[in-house]
Amino acid sequence: MIGWKGRSSLTAWVLGTLTVIFLAYQWLPIFTLGLLSFSGPTGGTTFPMNGTSFHWYQELWRASVMNDFKPPLLRSVLLAAACSATTIVLSVMAAQAMRGQFRGNGWFFYLMLLGIMAPGILVGFGFAILMRLMGVDLSWDTTTFLVQVSWTLPFGFLTMLAVFNRFDKRVEEAALTLGASRLSTFRRITLPLVLPGVIGAGLFGFSLSYDEYARSMFTTGPDATLPLAVMAQLDRQLTPEIYAVGTTTTLFSLIAVTLCTVAFWAMRRSTSLRRT
Amino acid sequence: MSTIRVRSPASYWLAVPAAAWMLGVVVVPIVLLVWVSLWGGRTFSPASPLTFDNYARFFANQTYIKLAGTTVMHTVMLMAVTGVLGYCIAYCLVMKVRSPGWRLALFLAFIIPFWTSTLIRAIAWVPFLGVNGVINQLLMSIGATRSPIEAFLYSKTGITMAQVSLYTMMAAGPVVYMLSSIAPQLREAAMTLKATPLTVFWRIVFPLTLPGVVIGQVLVFLNVMSDFATVATIGGNKHALLSNLVLLFYESSQIRAASVVAVLLMICMLVGVIIALRVVDVRRLGVER
Amino acid sequence: MDSLAAPLEVMARPQLDLELRGIRKRYGDFTAVDGVSLQVEKGQFVCLLGPSGCGKTTTLRCVAGLEEPDDGGILIGGNEVTKDPPWQRDIAMMFQDFALFPHMTVAKQVGFGLEMLKKPKVGIAKRVEEVLKAFEISALADRKPGSLSGGQRQRVALARAMITEPRILLLDEPVGALDYSLRETVMLELKLLQQRTGISFIWVTHDQNEAFSLGDLVVVMNHAKIEQQGTAEEILRRPATAFVASFVQGNNVFRGRVTGTSPDVLQVETSAGRFYVPRPPDPAPMLGDAVSFSVRAEQITDAPSQRQANRLTARCTAVEYFGAVRRHIFERCDGEVLKYDQFGAHAARIVSGQTVQLGWQVEETVLHTGAPG
Repeated sequence: MIGWKGRSSLTAWVLGTLTVIFLAYQWLPIFTLGLLSFSGPTGGTTFPMNGTSFHWYQELWRASVMNDFKPPLLRSVLLAAACSATTIVLSVMAAQAMRGQFRGNGWFFYLMLLGIMAPGILVGFGFAILMRLMGVDLSWDTTTFLVQVSWTLPFGFLTMLAVFNRFDKRVEEAALTLGASRLSTFRRITLPLVLPGVIGAGLFGFSLSYDEYARSMFTTGPDATLPLAVMAQLDRQLTPEIYAVGTTTTLFSLIAVTLCTVAFWAMRRSTSLRRT
Repeated sequence: MSTIRVRSPASYWLAVPAAAWMLGVVVVPIVLLVWVSLWGGRTFSPASPLTFDNYARFFANQTYIKLAGTTVMHTVMLMAVTGVLGYCIAYCLVMKVRSPGWRLALFLAFIIPFWTSTLIRAIAWVPFLGVNGVINQLLMSIGATRSPIEAFLYSKTGITMAQVSLYTMMAAGPVVYMLSSIAPQLREAAMTLKATPLTVFWRIVFPLTLPGVVIGQVLVFLNVMSDFATVATIGGNKHALLSNLVLLFYESSQIRAASVVAVLLMICMLVGVIIALRVVDVRRLGVER
Repeated sequence: MDSLAAPLEVMARPQLDLELRGIRKRYGDFTAVDGVSLQVEKGQFVCLLGPSGCGKTTTLRCVAGLEEPDDGGILIGGNEVTKDPPWQRDIAMMFQDFALFPHMTVAKQVGFGLEMLKKPKVGIAKRVEEVLKAFEISALADRKPGSLSGGQRQRVALARAMITEPRILLLDEPVGALDYSLRETVMLELKLLQQRTGISFIWVTHDQNEAFSLGDLVVVMNHAKIEQQGTAEEILRRPATAFVASFVQGNNVFRGRVTGTSPDVLQVETSAGRFYVPRPPDPAPMLGDAVSFSVRAEQITDAPSQRQANRLTARCTAVEYFGAVRRHIFERCDGEVLKYDQFGAHAARIVSGQTVQLGWQVEETVLHTGAPG
């Protein structure tokens, strides 16, 4: 005789199968993209691959004047690094401010939430008009930077809020009772403990900025970032070279995610004193 | 007692840079969009008289109204599909996978693609959907069809297929969070009160995860409404939604028309979010004090 | 006479509300419940007592059907229910932190069980009103659990469980989440409620005061097994194992080997000296067997006469007061602790640091006859 727990595993099987099918559905295109980027010189944009080679990666490296992905890549990385650094500083400040429960912190929270909720197309378009009216020239390292931080900052802020929520306040109280000032307690005790979380927020910001398309599209001047260059090439002609770019940046993102996960894992270890 | 005094001037000043940034880059441009959409006259300048002419012109065109309808329908359909699919997956991951190792592995497999470029993931669907694409090759090899089906690439079906894979995670994420915060004793208590598993689900589990479902639906709604990139990548020039129209007008330098569409898009989204907020308090997700 | 014998036999075996037949439950390598057998008579108040992790909660969850035992049988009201799901068993349960449904009002919550039994709506509303009144929580009917105090939650949880009038009510540390001051009142109320309704209570606790003051039957568990079951008096007076003796407050436990036997008395050599214990009926321990025994702190005297054959000398290290009781903590010569209780005003007061000769009667010494814990 099977107990009721055994019978309920039928649901588990159905849901489990659905989950696995969805995972395959989600991952197959990504794997296919990776596979096709290694197709032979005569390979097209779909199967058969006509042999395997690094041809398209070599193309990517050699690059013609028309489709050189290297400068956009450099711009994207620099931009993402700048956004990430700014996000770290501002979100730690903002999250610390929230702990101070200043007047109007509810509104402040909603303002940050608006940055996540407001679609990139509206923010990007609106900001582009604002710049046009103010007579400011659009450029990837000024206007795009401003807009992208408004996207990465709220995520960093929420991350830091979550980090401080997990943080054991008594550690700070201990330092304060030992005669440390608020500032030195923050510098010597708080910051080192939440550092992995801060790094996580930074990597999060990097990845968000690096992949951002809609906001950049309206606010980047003549010099494109990587997603813009990819989209432009897609408009002209679809070649396995785009797959090669895609595979490269996806690997790049995966490395960032891994680092981020490790950072959060380390943070959970360092901020939770009580072991369960 | 902590490193910051409650209601101190310091806490106020620490928030100023972030607040100023968000106001200047998000709030001001959005307000500006509303203003620009009301500019009349021949020239594009702040001195223009304010009229509703731009809106009148938009609503006079049947094509645009139909497009708005299509956009809303498409979004609602995607919300339904990702909502059901996302809930099933979330439920499976939280409630049914017992081994912690497997749960972590499946969970990572589920969320990692979310962290990679949405644009690249949309492009990855192209080799799948074409006339000679993977799906057609597969269908023909198993003999399901003799000639390739052209309905995938440059079609609504293709767009939907790609968007389901892109946005199910958004629908599922908040549900995962809410599900894992339900104490197992609540379900057990219901069972000892003679509730069958199905009743436990509908009377206990589902109501308690409703905030997560609503937040997930809001995220999918906002993202699909404004997702012009996937539509452009997979739909080519053959398909457009409201957000593509903004781009189209912008590229042809019809700024005021683009603003009108943007404002309408914004109103749609605002209405959606307000409806959602009536059902659930967003602050209950993660940052509750 | 033969015709009378049969019904007499039926009457001699009272109807059992619950019977556990050697249930076992393993989680991987860990054995949570190891062959627990128990019989609960109709309307009995049973307390499962033991330290945390002893398997008492798992046993309770097996009865509820929330866990499925790997082995053994469970009978409720004489019916085999071992494999039945919780919703088909004639039980109700009160959870440790009450497990109130956060999204339901008190009235909805209390009516939930009746709703599940598909009772007519009008009847449910009427019954809920009655029950809320009986538990003095009518004023809370439209509130949600989030806004209730601990005591109020406890009443709601109890009302929710009792409304379906189950055969057995299972209670997992039901007063553990309450303030200390509230506990005694609630315990008394629950005891009266149990006596009035005649529903069997199975009460899991780690607090011996709860178990001894409430339980008709107290079941002491340790390491997944039942160490001893009996009335409070039996367990206090005659602990069956060294574990029970040391778990129950006020016992002094000694371990040693049998060095001499007589028809009435055993001589036991321990690290604290040589002592005499009454010889139990056969099978009694043999010469050389390892045994343990205990004596209650209040049976000891500081002025041993001829009658107190068991004696030892020890140094007093502390004196504590528990109401009318003066408890002296002594250090035995083997380093272990010996407790000696005095009641009321006593002529000769012992002070900390004093070395005293203590003694007790052989008859007050309890040899542990159960398996050594």
